[in-house]
Amino acid sequence: MRISTTRFGRIDVDPADVLHFPSGLPGIEDCRDWALLADADNDALGWLQSTTRGDVALAVVSPRRFVPDYQVRIPRSEITPLSLADMRQAQVVVVVGRTDTALTLNLKAPIVINLEARTGRQVVASGDLPMRYELGSPRPALKKSA
Amino acid sequence: MLVLSRQRDESIMIGDTIVVTIVDIRGDKVRLGINAPAEIPVHRQEVYEAIQRENLRAARLETGDTRNIGKFAGRDASGPAHPPEGPRR
Repeated sequence: MRISTTRFGRIDVDPADVLHFPSGLPGIEDCRDWALLADADNDALGWLQSTTRGDVALAVVSPRRFVPDYQVRIPRSEITPLSLADMRQAQVVVVVGRTDTALTLNLKAPIVINLEARTGRQVVASGDLPMRYELGSPRPALKKSA
Repeated sequence: MLVLSRQRDESIMIGDTIVVTIVDIRGDKVRLGINAPAEIPVHRQEVYEAIQRENLRAARLETGDTRNIGKFAGRDASGPAHPPEGPRR
């Protein structure tokens, strides 16, 4: 399928690669189907591009590459809808945002993707994690959450 | 808004499938047990609203904003975290 996007122009997406988010994403509930694109300039970065709205895309990264001590704990009720038989089928990414001065990562609400079933869901992780973890600012390591 | 009085261990049903139970009451804190089908997301409202705000903010990001993100990236960590995969644009 070919989709027209505001950021990447026209792109071809194999329908088999489309990720279905049954609950959408909070704030963007109307977008259920997404394609995960690798960034052309940066191998650490991906883009979740809505396949139905060309203007909607979220920059995502694998959190461990930016926050090595990030350990995500997700309540069972949050992960059950993904029907993951094996956590090794799961890909965890976090959404990149921006303040006036820095890029941020939403460590509190990672997106978990079931690579086998091609489904995804944004979950709320346990513990005291920031929604705006600033990249590059000197800050103490993540608090060990209770 | 519908307002119902309930005591500890009593429940309300929402539709046929959602049961909310008063598990404990201590001072001004109430603990709720929620049984809902897996496809119904259940969130603390203030957390859900904060995630909504963050997603909408993040959706305004343009490709130019992330140009320098690589300098913050460590080496590809081994283990369960994978780099994003997918078609290269």
